[in-house]
Amino acid sequence: MKLRLDINGRKLRLHVPRGIRLLDLLRDYAGLTGTKYGCGEGQCGACVVLVDGVARKSCLLTAASAVGKKIVTIEGVASGQRLHAVQEAFLEHAAFQCGFCTPGMILAAAALLERNPQPSAGEIAAALQGHLCRCGTYPRIVAAVTAASRRKAARRG
Amino acid sequence: MGDALLADYKRREFLQLLGGGATLTLPLGSAETPVRVRLAENGIYEAFTGKIEMGQGARTLLTQALAEELQARVEKIRLVMGDTDRVPDDGGTWASLTAPETVPAARRDAAAFAGRPLTEPAQWRVLGTSAPPLHGREVVTGGLRYCSDLRVESMRHGRIVRPDAYRARLESYDDLAARKLAGVQVVREGDLLGVVAPDAQTAARAAALMRAQWKAEPLPDRDALMRSLRETAVPPVEVKDTRYPPLIRRGDVDTALGSAHRRLWSTYQTAPIAHAALEPRAAIAQWDGGRLTVFCGKQAPFLIRAELAKAFGVPETRVRVMVAMPGGAFGGKQRGECEWEAAVLARAAGAPVRVAWTREEEFRIAYARPPAVIDVESGVDAAGRLTAWRFRNYNSGAPGLAPPYAIPHMSNEFWRAASPLRQGSYRALAATANNFARESQVDEWAHALGRDPVEFRLANLEDARLREVIERGAARFGWGKRKAGAGIGFGMACNLEKAARLALFVETEGAGPALRLRRMVAVGDFGAALHPDNLRNQMQGAIIQGLGGALWERLEFDGDAQRTRRLSQYRLPRFRDIPDIAIELIDRREIASAGAGESPITLPAPAIANALFAATGERRRSLPLAVG
Repeated sequence: MKLRLDINGRKLRLHVPRGIRLLDLLRDYAGLTGTKYGCGEGQCGACVVLVDGVARKSCLLTAASAVGKKIVTIEGVASGQRLHAVQEAFLEHAAFQCGFCTPGMILAAAALLERNPQPSAGEIAAALQGHLCRCGTYPRIVAAVTAASRRKAARRG
Repeated sequence: MGDALLADYKRREFLQLLGGGATLTLPLGSAETPVRVRLAENGIYEAFTGKIEMGQGARTLLTQALAEELQARVEKIRLVMGDTDRVPDDGGTWASLTAPETVPAARRDAAAFAGRPLTEPAQWRVLGTSAPPLHGREVVTGGLRYCSDLRVESMRHGRIVRPDAYRARLESYDDLAARKLAGVQVVREGDLLGVVAPDAQTAARAAALMRAQWKAEPLPDRDALMRSLRETAVPPVEVKDTRYPPLIRRGDVDTALGSAHRRLWSTYQTAPIAHAALEPRAAIAQWDGGRLTVFCGKQAPFLIRAELAKAFGVPETRVRVMVAMPGGAFGGKQRGECEWEAAVLARAAGAPVRVAWTREEEFRIAYARPPAVIDVESGVDAAGRLTAWRFRNYNSGAPGLAPPYAIPHMSNEFWRAASPLRQGSYRALAATANNFARESQVDEWAHALGRDPVEFRLANLEDARLREVIERGAARFGWGKRKAGAGIGFGMACNLEKAARLALFVETEGAGPALRLRRMVAVGDFGAALHPDNLRNQMQGAIIQGLGGALWERLEFDGDAQRTRRLSQYRLPRFRDIPDIAIELIDRREIASAGAGESPITLPAPAIANALFAATGERRRSLPLAVG
């Protein structure tokens, strides 16, 4: 089937197998492999992308359901060479080891900060509870998201 | 793919390292001997290692080591990792050997290349600093290509048809419906049944349409499995020249147990668990005449090269294994199973074929951490000093077998058993099971003798560095300042594992499924801290990962099949499980570095079991702890 999708601000026309998941379309047909497959049942968060600004698990969505919506993947979070505040904070705190969970974590954290600019550590943990980090960098991720919220607040000043 | 091959490879690695040789590569008739460092264009150094990066920090650390001796900036070094045609065989990326073995090898080779003596640790400018992880920017922008992200030209997609049973022989199959899909090819080799298709979605549909008859082998239930480990076990004999001796004896343990003032006897068990690395494994295989090239994300490229060469009856020089970063491995990505599957399908298809396992295949097909049954019998003298210690690990392994305690008479034994499970390596191997049994037993002694668990350990330890680690942890934690009770428990465990001195103090709340952590303090002395921030990250991460095996993880089997197949059936540590954790390092620049990727995972299970006993008076001797 043919689909027209808005991904990272670009309009794409893609010919894909019928019924394909958004996750597989992104990885196999749009060349956006930053979105990861970890479990296929919405348990790990590695496939999270933003759909109209909301963090969604792309393994649980059909690609067809994303037609007419704005999709943002990890490749579309930075503004050119300028990283998003959450990306910068993950780098500064080395809030990863293997980094396989990081794209989903960053997108979910970015969406959190849009709706709650000053989350507590408990609110960050609650928002990211659906994301697994098997390397066990959870405390660093909470610290990075906290730092990003402070930086964004300072920028708004 | 027999384990004789693995044993042979590991023995070669061990002996080479004993001899101080930097690389394992034997001349195999290839045109070029791999080099460690060379000058490339524009003042860039190109360096080569058989180690791989899997998130543990090897790329950054080895680049720092090279930069130190080449007196170059880290950015001036391009490190090629895990490509068997281009790099020296530095052994598998396992057993926490990169810091203690590969860093010194890389430093020696770089210093020799530069024609300078080795830099003294006191003079280090790059090592000992926390350089930003070199893969960081690609991680946060999504640009890092993990093994499952790789694609090659004209690539087709394979999918394996699996039996429901854990082990089964393929009797017959009907592929009529599958072959009706455009471009689908069916491949059978022995008990391997697979499909190849133009795209992954079609491959999955075709595999689902296959009808196969299997003859299943039964599996014992959990209790029968654990019983069989002791029943089928064979006693160890002394082996020299091995990294993990299966028998470590001192004095006369039988006599000492007979004459002990008091004796204790306990049995401990650990469950089989899955690595559950976040990225399921994937491989692409490509045949070109009689040459096989495989892209994968495995920890031991040269071992996998040997496996594939043997499986296809070709010389190792005609197999090239290239490693892209795996999204976590934890000891679970050392063997070439999906590489072999991809290579079989690629040969039949006459095209490059990618095989990417699903999460369900990760759970059902990959090898697991072996279950353990451990018998400990020990005795003390009238003064309460440990005098006799007999420790028998059935099935799970020899690593971490010997205690750090000064016990005059002991016998530490690994008894190999006939387990029906696919079992293999796991971060820290058996050291986790062994430390759980050992540190539980020592805690049982402290309580039996009415002694404080910290004081009892210190009284039985001679190693000054381990004593300092425990004392610092106790002070930071405020050990002994509050009484356990009302569901709150305080516990600790220590270890001297792979030359690291470690202690963990925990505060727990509740019991059974409601058991949770409130606070943790960990102290580690790994000798020289080559990259202090990564050392903290590794120590904290290993402890957090260890919470899963301590509290919840257990693979379930039923009849002839493994029932645990999805993440929703397998409880792993998540954000809200993690209490406040303090990590303290003791940096001893003058002492050679111990590896740190594994050993801290040995701490949480005994520390939590000991806290649980302090809170409830119930001694749990079986992992996982937080089940009914």
